[in-house]
Amino acid sequence: MAIKSKRYEEARLEASTNLELYWWVFMRISGVVLVFLLIGHMWMNAILIDLNQIDYNYVAKRLSQTTWKVYDWLILALALLHGGNGLRYVLDDWVRHPVRRFWTKVVVYSLIAFLFFLGSLSLFNHDFGVK
Amino acid sequence: MYRGREGQWAFYLHRISGLGILVFLMLHVANIASAMWGPEVSNALMKFYHQPVFQIGLLLLIAGVLYHGFNGLRIILMDFTAWGVRYQRQLWYGVWVLFVIFYLPFLLKIGGGILGGGHGD
Repeated sequence: MAIKSKRYEEARLEASTNLELYWWVFMRISGVVLVFLLIGHMWMNAILIDLNQIDYNYVAKRLSQTTWKVYDWLILALALLHGGNGLRYVLDDWVRHPVRRFWTKVVVYSLIAFLFFLGSLSLFNHDFGVK
Repeated sequence: MYRGREGQWAFYLHRISGLGILVFLMLHVANIASAMWGPEVSNALMKFYHQPVFQIGLLLLIAGVLYHGFNGLRIILMDFTAWGVRYQRQLWYGVWVLFVIFYLPFLLKIGGGILGGGHGD
């Protein structure tokens, strides 16, 4: 079960498995990193430019630059893991029926895996033909 | 635990904003990845998302990201410092101060865009 403790020492005692404790730690580390990555991402694409001008050309150019490939992929991976695990906490809380909870998780995790695959392809395996 | 005061609001807002961000993230990845299918598909989708109603959704999303992020930092302070839990309410007000400071530029820029009518074409 998800850890509810508010202190690291208590969390370590409460953790049913080492894996659960690692997830608890991961949520905090990925959270701090994501705060900075996302404020940067939103600032660049909504403040520095008019976001209504975003079109295929803008995206193709961005996805062709190594800096943004790495930056965007970090957001993609960390956000999907952070969000997927957060959703697991919510489902454990809110979907009490075991069978229904199991199948909800199957659907959700599959969707997350698919989007990770799709996003990674567009960042690393597609030539947008921009020099 | 928090008896319906600030801490409880902080918790529920954290949860709701987290779920909202995850839904957006999925739509956003699908939208950007559509560029792999070429300009026609991609531009049609983006034009669709440039409608004012989605701009309002975006303002909500940015509010969600900023709140979730700053409140997440509050949670980390509560976890790893000796004084964090004692001052959780004061920290929550700090979250809102940071929120307002960072949200204003987005509100002015995107809100101005919606009111000014300069969406897409």
